[in-house]
Amino acid sequence: MLPLLILSPLILLAALGAVWKARPVHAALLLALTLALIALLYLAIGAYFIGLVQFMVYVGAVAILIVFSLLITRPGDEAEEISRRPSSLLTGLICTVPVLAVLFISLIRANPPEPAASDAPSATLQQFGEKLFTTHAPVVITVGVLLTAVLIGAALFARGVQGISSSEPFESGKSLPP
Amino acid sequence: MISLPVQTASFPPVTLENLPLLPKNLVEFLLGWVGAPEWLVYAGGIVATAGTVVGVFLSAFALLSLVERKTLARIQNRLGPNRAGWFGIFQPVADGIKMLTKEDIVPAKAEWLLHLAAPVLIVVPPILALGVIPYGCEWTPVPLELGLLFFFATGTLTEIAVFMAGWASGSKFPMLGAMRAISQMVSYELPLVISALGVIMVTGSLSLPDIVGKQGGYHLGFIPAWNLFTPWGLSAGIIFYIASIAEANRCPFDLPEGESEIVAGHMTEYSGFKYALFFMGEYLGLFAIAGLGITLFLGGWQAPLPGLGFVPSWIWFFAKLAVVIMSYLWIRGTFPRVRIDQLMRFAWLCMIPMALVTIPAAGIWTLLRANGHGLFAWLVTVPLLVFPWIVLTIVYNRCLAPATRKYTFAE
Repeated sequence: MLPLLILSPLILLAALGAVWKARPVHAALLLALTLALIALLYLAIGAYFIGLVQFMVYVGAVAILIVFSLLITRPGDEAEEISRRPSSLLTGLICTVPVLAVLFISLIRANPPEPAASDAPSATLQQFGEKLFTTHAPVVITVGVLLTAVLIGAALFARGVQGISSSEPFESGKSLPP
Repeated sequence: MISLPVQTASFPPVTLENLPLLPKNLVEFLLGWVGAPEWLVYAGGIVATAGTVVGVFLSAFALLSLVERKTLARIQNRLGPNRAGWFGIFQPVADGIKMLTKEDIVPAKAEWLLHLAAPVLIVVPPILALGVIPYGCEWTPVPLELGLLFFFATGTLTEIAVFMAGWASGSKFPMLGAMRAISQMVSYELPLVISALGVIMVTGSLSLPDIVGKQGGYHLGFIPAWNLFTPWGLSAGIIFYIASIAEANRCPFDLPEGESEIVAGHMTEYSGFKYALFFMGEYLGLFAIAGLGITLFLGGWQAPLPGLGFVPSWIWFFAKLAVVIMSYLWIRGTFPRVRIDQLMRFAWLCMIPMALVTIPAAGIWTLLRANGHGLFAWLVTVPLLVFPWIVLTIVYNRCLAPATRKYTFAE
């Protein structure tokens, strides 16, 4: 209970900062902080594998992707100007209020049983791996196919961008282009 | 209430083997003797363990900074630092004093909070990673069941810190340097992790002490059963070695911090102790990743010959670490720096396919050896690894010229 009490306000603050900050890089770094704190929450409840994988994938790949694209494109601070328009406020309310209402109502109505007084979860890493690749193998394969399709699509898309032409192999012996 | 693993019995005997555990045992014994509550004894033990690791590796860092400069100097036919004491032995002390007394300059356009947080954040992941490496048969500071995953997770934190350093400096060289550094680190993290996957598959565990334990024993009486002495292990080991040089931003992959390229890359606008922290983070990261390579491929703390078991295991680990670090220094003094496009092309076109080929080779090796076909395993895996390597070398040599790129982001 104590890790949840300490971490959830921090997560909420970081997430609020990530959506409210006008400067994109600050928002991106706060998003990385939010994801890192969620990883800490996973570690605190005993899901060590998921916590470390969350850290490695979300903070180490997703957040890096976001900051790298910010470095390349270097956008201005337009978010603040956009967020002050009344239509943006209305859109935001329409999107968030129903979701929050559903979450709140379901949390109040749900009646989870008292957690048993046992400490760490009993599944070892071996059992986790076995279950993932035998019982849930179709899911893993589907995700793999999806990711392969995304990778191929990204590579094809990148080749089509103007100005970058690395498709012709250079033959040794010829002089270098000027 | 969880039970804490605390030493409340009598003081364990001091042998040469558990000499590194002496501070921890001493602190726990003293606190228990004084009558402190159990959580305080546990916390004291943790602080003593962390202090031992940090103390050992910070002194190693100081020593390495001198050894590196002398070695590079000798390679380059000059003497190296020899003014600050006999043989330059106090040069690290002089460097430390210099760094501490320098003015701390923060550029006006920089964001001071991120500018301050970046060097602090870059020292933390290597120290965390150094905690999970098994240094001796009785000394793993934090024996995690998921030690290898923890190691790679801390490596990703370094990339965020490099980005913060580059962006927060508010100047063009750091931003370019950070871009290059991040793309380099992300690209070379893939061969690093994929080559470690082969070891995980063969060992069946993510726990680093288990991986070292599996490499015990000797073939034919004198060849150690290290992972490097198998076909897939040699291939994966070479890939890991090259990728670790790139991850640690060492020459020939030190484009992010090459002086003749982009001044100092993401560290340009740093001076004084913050620069010393970057330096420290880089060297500690080098120790961590070399230590991991030794654990995965060189048998960790296992002795190389059967009769040498009387030497404490942590001495073997540090001897191997010294050899690996000397090879890094040798490579630094020998090879020129690679260009950014050569670097990226090497990672994506050569290293990743080779690393991907290593995984089925490791699987086939384990399967065949488990069913008793030892010689057949050699006959199958060696061509499986050599043939793609030859093909990749030919393909890669064909695209060595720079691609005609149009730079759209450097104004």
